[in-house]
Amino acid sequence: MAALWSRKREAAADEALIRSLYEEHGRALLAYATRLTGDRAAAEDVVQETLVRAWRHPDTLVNGKGSVRGWLLTVARNIVTDRFRAKAARPQEVAETPTTPPVERDHADSVVDSMVVLEALDRLSSDHRDVLMEIYFRGRSVTEAAEALGVPPGTVKSRSHYALRALRETFVGQQVALKGVAG
Amino acid sequence: MTTNHDPQLLGAYVLGVLDEREARAVEDHLASCSRCHADLAELRAMEEAMGDVPPEALLDGPPEGGDLLLQRTLRQVRSERGGQLRRRQVGLGLVAAAVAAVVLGGGFAVGRGTAPDVGAIPQTSTAPAPPAGTKLGSATDPDTGARMTVQVKPAAGWVRVNASVAGIEQNEKCRLFVVAKDGRRAEAGSWLVSAAGEKDGTNLDGSALIAPEDVAAIEVRNFDDERIVTVPV
Repeated sequence: MAALWSRKREAAADEALIRSLYEEHGRALLAYATRLTGDRAAAEDVVQETLVRAWRHPDTLVNGKGSVRGWLLTVARNIVTDRFRAKAARPQEVAETPTTPPVERDHADSVVDSMVVLEALDRLSSDHRDVLMEIYFRGRSVTEAAEALGVPPGTVKSRSHYALRALRETFVGQQVALKGVAG
Repeated sequence: MTTNHDPQLLGAYVLGVLDEREARAVEDHLASCSRCHADLAELRAMEEAMGDVPPEALLDGPPEGGDLLLQRTLRQVRSERGGQLRRRQVGLGLVAAAVAAVVLGGGFAVGRGTAPDVGAIPQTSTAPAPPAGTKLGSATDPDTGARMTVQVKPAAGWVRVNASVAGIEQNEKCRLFVVAKDGRRAEAGSWLVSAAGEKDGTNLDGSALIAPEDVAAIEVRNFDDERIVTVPV
C-alpha cells in the first residue's frame, strides 16, 4: 500500500534527521546544556527536547552547519531559561544549589550575533578557522598554536590577523542579511 | 616615530596573544597611525562578538555516553508521529506496526519522554532531574554480542530501570531482570524483539521491587532462562 510505504519512509526520515543532528551537534548541545544546568541528567532532558523541537520545525534547519547549530543552541538555552523560571515560580521546589547558577536570559542581539559568528566561522577557510580555534577558542599561545598547526609562529600571527578580518567581513554581511530578515 | 606599520600584527594583538614587547610596539604604532586605529576598532568588535559564542558550540560529534539520550529522543519522536497517525487514521490498525519499538515492561512505564499533544504549542516536558543515586551502566556480552545500557533510578525501597538493548535477534522473547546482591531476581519487564529492535535496539522502562542499595546488576534473559546480557551497576 502506497500510503503505508510513504508513512514508513517518513518514519525513517524522522529517525535519520534525529540521528544526524545528534551525531553532528550532540556533543556541543549536551556540553552547553550541562554547563547551563549544572546537571547532566537535566541537560539530557534539555537536549532531548531541543532535538524534538528541531524535528517539529524542520523548516528552521536551513543550510550551513553554523546556523543549524546556532539555532539548536539557542533553543536549548531558551528551554533551560524557561525551566529555571518555572521552578522559580514554584517555591516548593528544592532551591537552586551553588552548582546550578541561575541563567540570565541573553539579550536577543547577542544570541543572534553568536549564531552569525558560528556561521561565519563555518565559512572561513580551514586555515583561518584552525588558527582562530587554537589561539582564541582553545586559548593557546602563539608558540603552542604554531606547534599544533605545524607552521612558524610568525605565520600564526599573520594568519590570525587575516582570519579575524575574513571573519569580520562575513560576519558583517551576514548580520545585515539576518537582521534585515528578522526586523 | 620609529614604529613600523605592520597591520598583520593587529589581529594577534586584539586576540591577546602577542608578547609584551610586541604588544607595546603595536600600541606605540597605533598612537600614530589612524588607519590602524580604525582597523583595531573593527577587529575588536569582531573579537567581542566571538566572545558571545559559547565555547561548547565548537565541539563536534555525538556526546559521550549519550546512547540512552538518543534512544529516548527517537522514542519520543516515534510516539509523536504515532500520535499524528492515530489522529489521521482512526480505526485503522496499521499504526501499531509502524510505531512498535516502544515496549513497556511490567505493566507500567515511568514518565519520561511522554508525547505531548501534536498540534499543541510545543511544551517543554517537565521530567524532573533523576534522584541522587541514579546509576548508569553499559556492557556487551562476549558470547551473545548483545549490548545493553541501563539507567537505574532509586525509588523508596524499589527501583526504576530504563534499558537500551541492542544486538538481539528478531523474535527472541526477552525478560529484563533486576538482580540483587544476594542473587535474588525480580522481573522488570518482558518483550519480543522486533525487526526494528534487532536493527536499532529496543528501549524500555521497567521497575522492580528490589531496594536501590541491593541492586547488583540488570540482566536480560530469554524465556528458557538463558542469559543474554548482564550489566553490573
